[in-house]
Amino acid sequence: MKRWKGFGVAALGAALLLAIPGAALAQTKGGNVVIGIVQAPPSLDAHVTTAQAARNITLQIYETLYARDKNAKPVPELAEGVKISEDGKTYAFAIRQGVKFHNGKELAANDVVASIERYRKVGASAALLNAIDTVQATGPREVTITLKDVQSTFLDNLSSPRAPIAIYPAEEAAKPANQINYIGTGPFRFVEYKPDSHVKIERFDGYVPNPNAEGRDGLAGKKEVYLDSVTFRFMPEAGSRNAALEAGEVQLLETVDGPTAKRLQNDKNYVVYKVLPFAFQVIKFNHAQPPTSDVNFRLAVQAALDMEEVMAISYPDIYQMDGAWLYPGAAFYTTDNTGKYNEADLSAAKALLAKSGYKGEKLTFIVDNLRANTDTATVVQQRLKEIGIDVELSVADWPTVSKIGFTPTGWNFWAHGYGIEPYEGPASVMAPWVGGTSQQKKDETIDRLYADLTASMEEGKRKQIFADFQKHMYDNAVAMKAGNYGLFQVASAKLKNFEPSRIPRMWDVWLEQN
Amino acid sequence: MSSVTLDSAVASHGPTWHVASRLLHNRSFVIGAGLVLTIALLAVFASGLAPFDPLRNSFRTRLRPPDATYWFGTDHFGRDILSRVLFGARISLTIGLLTALATGIAGTLIGATAGFFRSLDNPVMRLMDALMAFPAILLAIAVAAVLGASVPNVIIALAIATTPHTARIVRASVLVVREHEFVEAARALGATELRILFRHVLPNALGPLIVRLTYVFATAILAEAALSFIGLGPPPPAPSFGSIIAQGRDFIAEAPWVTIFPGLAIIVSVLGLNLLGDGLRDVLDPRMRT
Amino acid sequence: MARFLTKRLAGAFIVLVLVSLMSFAIIWLVPGDPTAAFLDTSATPEQVARLRHELGLDQPLIIQMLDWYGRILHGDLGQSILLKRSVTAALLERLPVTLSLTSVALTLALLIGVSAGIVAAVNHNRWPDQVVMTAALFGLSVPDFWLGIMLILLLAVQFDVFPTGGYVPLGEDPLGWLESIVMPAITLAVIQVGFIARMTRASMLEVLSQDFIRTADAKGLTRTDIMLRHGLPNALVPVLTVAGIVAGSLLGGAVIIEQVFSIPGVGRLIIGGILSRDYPVIQGGLLFLAVIYLGVNLAVDILYAAIDPRVRLE
Repeated sequence: MKRWKGFGVAALGAALLLAIPGAALAQTKGGNVVIGIVQAPPSLDAHVTTAQAARNITLQIYETLYARDKNAKPVPELAEGVKISEDGKTYAFAIRQGVKFHNGKELAANDVVASIERYRKVGASAALLNAIDTVQATGPREVTITLKDVQSTFLDNLSSPRAPIAIYPAEEAAKPANQINYIGTGPFRFVEYKPDSHVKIERFDGYVPNPNAEGRDGLAGKKEVYLDSVTFRFMPEAGSRNAALEAGEVQLLETVDGPTAKRLQNDKNYVVYKVLPFAFQVIKFNHAQPPTSDVNFRLAVQAALDMEEVMAISYPDIYQMDGAWLYPGAAFYTTDNTGKYNEADLSAAKALLAKSGYKGEKLTFIVDNLRANTDTATVVQQRLKEIGIDVELSVADWPTVSKIGFTPTGWNFWAHGYGIEPYEGPASVMAPWVGGTSQQKKDETIDRLYADLTASMEEGKRKQIFADFQKHMYDNAVAMKAGNYGLFQVASAKLKNFEPSRIPRMWDVWLEQN
Repeated sequence: MSSVTLDSAVASHGPTWHVASRLLHNRSFVIGAGLVLTIALLAVFASGLAPFDPLRNSFRTRLRPPDATYWFGTDHFGRDILSRVLFGARISLTIGLLTALATGIAGTLIGATAGFFRSLDNPVMRLMDALMAFPAILLAIAVAAVLGASVPNVIIALAIATTPHTARIVRASVLVVREHEFVEAARALGATELRILFRHVLPNALGPLIVRLTYVFATAILAEAALSFIGLGPPPPAPSFGSIIAQGRDFIAEAPWVTIFPGLAIIVSVLGLNLLGDGLRDVLDPRMRT
Repeated sequence: MARFLTKRLAGAFIVLVLVSLMSFAIIWLVPGDPTAAFLDTSATPEQVARLRHELGLDQPLIIQMLDWYGRILHGDLGQSILLKRSVTAALLERLPVTLSLTSVALTLALLIGVSAGIVAAVNHNRWPDQVVMTAALFGLSVPDFWLGIMLILLLAVQFDVFPTGGYVPLGEDPLGWLESIVMPAITLAVIQVGFIARMTRASMLEVLSQDFIRTADAKGLTRTDIMLRHGLPNALVPVLTVAGIVAGSLLGGAVIIEQVFSIPGVGRLIIGGILSRDYPVIQGGLLFLAVIYLGVNLAVDILYAAIDPRVRLE
């Protein structure tokens, strides 16, 4: 009797255990999610472009050797792991077994080698792999990479999502830039690209999730797809995007302005997600052109600006006041030496201005026609007017502005965002200022700090180097950080388990069907 | 044929008050002139009339709907839309006026050259045809993209887009008179080609030209707004009618007043100019009835 | 007739050559290049240079020009840098969309404009005339994109009657097509209606005042009879001339309307090309538009010449 009872209880318990996950999961397979994105991707060849629009899609159909987890740390994705030699110059990657490409081919070492070599030739951020000496398949599922010098950031570089070092089949990797068939190992496969309209991807039923990972984890993790397909519609007009969401034509918007988000918050048909921080708003100085070549002038401007006003107008309801050059929560994040951030002190500014050689000349603030950037420029212009600095706005479309901004003449100020760099880490934040690329004049302090950072493998030392960099940015007013801004993303309430990230990840989400 | 030309010759050379009186009795002209004058006066006295500084940011008063203080509401900078529209009238009307003047000068030079000097007619008009083969707005966009966005560049872009048609009109008028006897007579008397052109031929074109320029003024206001909408109009924080609309675009569902009022301002200005043009056409160029 | 045609075609050819030269001028003069769409602000000058090389942008302009003209002779407009397909294919795919929009708009404009013009002419100087003319003038005075935005706000967002934008092909879903085309077509038609109404009224008035009408009246024909059998046909001839002008105006209007309503037509393609510096699209697109514009004008001229022999002798 007693034994039966025990057995009965156990059986009941087992039955309950089996039933509960079934009930609690309620993930429904199926459905197509339409996402409204701002721009069309210039290419779906992940290697050749750093555009966000491309990443939104490529990071779902391709995978990389290492990928960033939810803390932006590099973890193995297509690799099982890595063995690094004593001297830090040899990396031996074991490739996962049984991974399938979308065309059924099994992933092997030569695919990895071909993809990495291709990236070194045509990659948009090919410099990430500058430290590589040789790449070789040292086994059917082993790839060994030797570096010329020790590089503390090698795994970070390999897993950089900016222009991902996607692993293609060797046959595709042999093709020139932009000429590939879009075949990857990711949980989605490419279906169609209709120019000026949309890109469609669908669930890849042959996908082999990473057995060493658990659940959703940043851009890595164990990815499971419930949706049948995802369509990315290109909709540059904010008004059209919002209207399409409210008309039920799209289920997720990549970005929504503050007032709309506020309005939809109270509507139970939608869920509003706040992605903060998503990027820095930065105001750059041209160090090759007077008076911004003069440190006193720059310090004067830095002291004068009321950054809260800049952020509140440019990014209403979706900004953070933070003077650090990393996102809060990052390993090396510190607010030390950010005293000069957001001083908003007009009299101190005037004093510094007097020390500079500024005689009232008209200065040029270049900016593209993204509303937030022109708003930043407008606020700065009005504020600087109050201490007698005459600034004129020169608004042009992005190709023009990004061209002028990388020449030493024709501009004094330039405002735009830096999104992916702070996410990637300290080296990425420092890189734009190395070699004078962004400020148009070499800064030896920064160049030295950057070299030290990449050469040093010791955490403590690297943390200090970054802190020194941050101090230099403020003491020298190399460029000004206005603050952190974010995105509002709005989804239909039917989209379940969505968690915003650097891209709208469509794995581990499902549509409520009723 | 010759009596018609003599009539218009008389009309342009004759007592101005004949023309003026006919204009003042023309309903279209009067209403149109009234509207245009009102807007022009509002623009000229904008600094006195505007309750607030159109450029002053004030993020505490952002996106207020129209109320007792802000008759037209505020934009996302907290700037008063009424004040911006008043100052916007200055910029938009200036752009319109200068575009009309520029196209008038360029169109006259080109049209007169083509009409009067036979050997230049074909090549010049082919060039004008090539310019007219683009939709005008696309041409303006292309030129603005090349030159960059600023008030002078917008004027240049719009002038380039409207000159070909103006040149055509001037050329047509010149062609009509070119062969006439009194021109031959003037030549026989020893007048130089240029003198003939300026004293005898061009005045014939004056009527149609003035009518055309009025319509160009109207078109320029509409086109500047479209350019601003694309992002190639006068740069911020300048409030032209079009740029107020463009800058408020992201907030259209939340704050439609930012879009509505400058739009109405455009309608009133352009309506006034169109009425003015119609009135002028009735009096100065009855052949052009459309 | 044949000589007339040859003259016209020769003229059109010259214009096309000039148009292509102008588009090269635009490309040469406009600052920036397509690399900006691929790379972000952290791109080093070396990366930009390398991409320029890959895209073939670092070749001297003369070579690029010769290359393009050579390809044109084979009917090849080149490959779009950003869209990854041939410019010809992109244009041909978008043409039906723009044609849908412009033909629906033209039909609406003609139906409403011509009828309004007739009503106005017949009731010359009485109140229907005033009303029609004022409405027509209003139509000409409204900024097209503003009207489009207002309509979207009202009919699509507020009252959910029509979609907010986008285009559904006719073959795919006729009802959806109609829904997606109505607001843009109405917006586009509004400007043309005013113009057509005024033109129709003016030419009707002119015809109605002529002798043969008074003769018909004296002969005892009813007013309707006079209008329809004698008045209208004659009045329509100048309206035909206007068709050429309206075609150009429609094309221009379509460019803006396509932006407002996110309709993937030829206009949007070209604007997109200009703003992203997709050179082959700019050149091919502008040439294409010129061909259409010249074609329509030529067709109108031929029709006119066929009807009116005096024109042929020009």
